[in-house]
Amino acid sequence: MATTKRRWLKRLLVTVLILAIIVAGVYWYVATEKFSDTKDMQAAYTVNAVDFLHEFEKDVAAANQKYKDKIITVNGRVSAVESADTTMNIKMADSTKNSFIIFAFQEQHVSEPKTVKVGDSVSIKGSFSAGIFSEILEVVKVDFKRSALNK
Amino acid sequence: MKKTILFLALAFLTTGLFAQKKTTTSAVIAFDASTSLDNMPKAENKTAIGALDTKTGSLAFEATVKNFTFSNPTMQGHFNGDKWLNSDAYPSFIFKGNIVNLSSVDFSKDGSYKAEAEGTLTVKGKEKKIKVPGTIVVKGETIAVSSNFSVDVADFDITGVPIDAGKVSKQPKITVNAEFK
Repeated sequence: MATTKRRWLKRLLVTVLILAIIVAGVYWYVATEKFSDTKDMQAAYTVNAVDFLHEFEKDVAAANQKYKDKIITVNGRVSAVESADTTMNIKMADSTKNSFIIFAFQEQHVSEPKTVKVGDSVSIKGSFSAGIFSEILEVVKVDFKRSALNK
Repeated sequence: MKKTILFLALAFLTTGLFAQKKTTTSAVIAFDASTSLDNMPKAENKTAIGALDTKTGSLAFEATVKNFTFSNPTMQGHFNGDKWLNSDAYPSFIFKGNIVNLSSVDFSKDGSYKAEAEGTLTVKGKEKKIKVPGTIVVKGETIAVSSNFSVDVADFDITGVPIDAGKVSKQPKITVNAEFK
């Protein structure tokens, strides 16, 4: 009887230990998980900046659904390079409607916008965030994060 | 000749009017909801829109929720999910308000001014009146606006087990930095 009880207790302890290791492993994985370098990621779409903006001007909801959480390469002309605290953002615009795309850069690529000037034709790969119709500026704005300049 | 003078006068007047309203599309808004149990719930958005009218004191900010960047992908996914910010349904955070003590800020003179802004913050479709302290630094044509404050997540119907368990702060610290040129 005592032997059986001891055996069950041992099994219970082993099970608890295994579960604890699994939980710790999952927590460690989540806690240390990082985003991949955008430069090394495959783009789901390659688009021209103005054509891309036209899609959002036509139907923001449909365009957001199409590009949701995708890595996209955008080719176009730089309309502005803006400082954002210690980093810089690059913009591409549709001058006919004042709509624009704005790219914030990934940590390891924050120095890349410094090599670009207004009017340059560039190719930028980034993580699509969303397109919105800005209540403040009353234009369409499309946001990208973790961007990298394609060489 | 008269037409030319009229055109020039209109152009001058229009330029003067527009000069009062300054905008930026690269304001930086960050929040820190970390606690002693978890240091991961914090993120930054570097592409927020800001608008400042130096004549009326109106001040507005708009940030795309999905452009808040976390260091951790899982955390970012939860933040945007249905149970938290539901960013597909509510894509922006918006603040619209005014500088309360406009008379104590001289936008034509270089200097650092303490300011207070009052207005409505909209998060997840919920509106809340807030009053926040800030600093306005005028240097030539550039106006830098900064503010640090906290909000109550419960005011915006943001609830969940991680908040109750103390892993996400009930009052995250918000930081706003904008440079208007």
